[in-house]
Amino acid sequence: MKNNIIILGGGQAGIYAAREIRQNDSESNIKILGEENLLPYERPPLSKDFLLDKKNEEDLYFYSDEVLKKENIDFEYVSITKVDFENKKLFTKNDEVYFYDSLLISTGSENKKLSLDNNLINDVYYLRNLEEAKTIKDKVLNKNKITIIGGGFIGLEIASSLSQLQKKVTVIEIGDQLMGRIIPKQIADLVQNIHLEHGNEIILNKQIDKIIKKDDMYEILLNDNSLIETDFLIAGIGSTPSVKLFENTNLKLNNGITTNQFCETSIKDVYAAGDVSNFYHPLYERNIRLESYQHAQNHGICAGKNIAGVKTEYTSIPWMWSDQFNLNLQLTGICDDYDEIIERGNDINNGVIYFFLKNKIIRGACGLGIAGKVGRDIRITSKLTEKNTIVDKQILSDQNLKLNKLIQK
Amino acid sequence: MSEENWIEVGSTDSIEEEDLIRFDHQDKTFCVYRLIDGFYATDGMCTHEAVHLEDGLVMDDEIECPMHQGIFNIKSGEALSPPACEDLKTYPVKVDNDKIFIKID
Ligand SMILES: Cc1cc2nc3c(=O)[nH]c(=O)nc-3n(C[C@H](O)[C@H](O)[C@H](O)COP(=O)(O)OP(=O)(O)OC[C@H]3O[C@@H](n4cnc5c(N)ncnc54)[C@H](O)[C@@H]3O)c2cc1C
Ligand code: FES
Repeated sequence: MKNNIIILGGGQAGIYAAREIRQNDSESNIKILGEENLLPYERPPLSKDFLLDKKNEEDLYFYSDEVLKKENIDFEYVSITKVDFENKKLFTKNDEVYFYDSLLISTGSENKKLSLDNNLINDVYYLRNLEEAKTIKDKVLNKNKITIIGGGFIGLEIASSLSQLQKKVTVIEIGDQLMGRIIPKQIADLVQNIHLEHGNEIILNKQIDKIIKKDDMYEILLNDNSLIETDFLIAGIGSTPSVKLFENTNLKLNNGITTNQFCETSIKDVYAAGDVSNFYHPLYERNIRLESYQHAQNHGICAGKNIAGVKTEYTSIPWMWSDQFNLNLQLTGICDDYDEIIERGNDINNGVIYFFLKNKIIRGACGLGIAGKVGRDIRITSKLTEKNTIVDKQILSDQNLKLNKLIQK
Repeated sequence: MSEENWIEVGSTDSIEEEDLIRFDHQDKTFCVYRLIDGFYATDGMCTHEAVHLEDGLVMDDEIECPMHQGIFNIKSGEALSPPACEDLKTYPVKVDNDKIFIKID
């Protein structure tokens, strides 16, 4: 049957869903609606290689215009401002209407904003999209002292990149460790050390009381009365799922759009995938919301299958990475529900990994090492979590024993 | 085919099955794999970013990059999964008297 399928949000989850639908359904109309005037692109390099000029805009796009044309996937640059789920319609602010039979919502997430005085609103920069990355890259050129508010992944990646561009960087974090509690303190400390070694200043446990604008610079007053002078302000204080559009509708929301393991929302024929979805994971028997590259891709593909009528459960094991300086951090499974932690290695040159176990079963792991050093073991951990494996702790804790054996038949 | 382009990597028992070793020769670096049906060789560095695949995971005919999980087919070098999108160069391999040789052009 020929359907009108609309994908709202032209990011990573959206494009992978579209291509997957086409693989399974050669007839239906597939239209992606995206508010950025760009084809879907990779966001991870925005805070890293793009700022460093090691990757440029052309390197970021997932697929070219030709690929979309060939697969008969329509892409329109519009912003949707209203939805009518009952009559299956989407509206733009000029009241243009789009009808759908099936809808995938893949609107991603957006940065939390600091509450600032009006005269400062345009002085703090955020990073989520290519345009913002270009602005930051351009503006920092003639700045020296940069302050980053928030010591999460994105803030720290920007700090790493700007330090490599010879900027004097200060990171202010409200919590008592970097990257939040999900990351083991020991790993957060190792990351902090690398920043310090490269000359970045890291301030923990401090809040900003006031920002004072003075000609070309700013004074930041912290809650312990200390003062930081800076030329440029960037905030990375976390993000929220992009759901404003649905707040006064019947769509069930709870830290994102609630979806089941088939990417289905509470409304028939409406699906959600990627950053915006708080999905049920059958293995962990709970809902999870992830902001990760691999998840956006796999969840998009899974939604695409389900929309095309190929009923498919989403069982991917969560995985994400962050690259700072020459370090690569990886996180897999769930690391917030455990009764035991096992450490593997203690030197970042060979990789350091913390495994999280519950009832002797591996639930997740977090690792840090010089580029690539923890990847294989983290990947093996994903596979072990998938199978609810009880593992010999000796093998996990001894870096001389290879984990490969654990997954070989 | 000139003989001198075949470079000795080491003995066949230096690589476990479904595993790989790194092999450096002059200013170049390679990965040499032992799969169920024989030995294979590719460039050592991932085509996505500058990280060595020696720390990657070999599964069946595939090598998964340890940095961002880009996946390549070991036999053809084809990039199978993003963020890797550029193929990996592959090299002919032969085994002679329990010794592995790769042909570098
Ligand atoms: C700077 C940065 C660095 C990152 N680094 C990493 C990393 O190192 N490793 C990792 O695993 N992950 C990383 N991520 C996370 C990863 O990029 C995201 O999880 C992924 O992009 C999510 O894909 P998505 O399709 O759900 O959303 P997005 O890619 O954000 O796409 C959503 C799209 O929907 C559009 N949209 C929203 N509302 C509307 C509307 N009403 N009408 C029309 N269009 C709309 C948005 O403009 C956007 O283009 C990073 C993210 C950022 C921002
Ligand atoms: S460096 Fe290999 S996938 Fe990124």
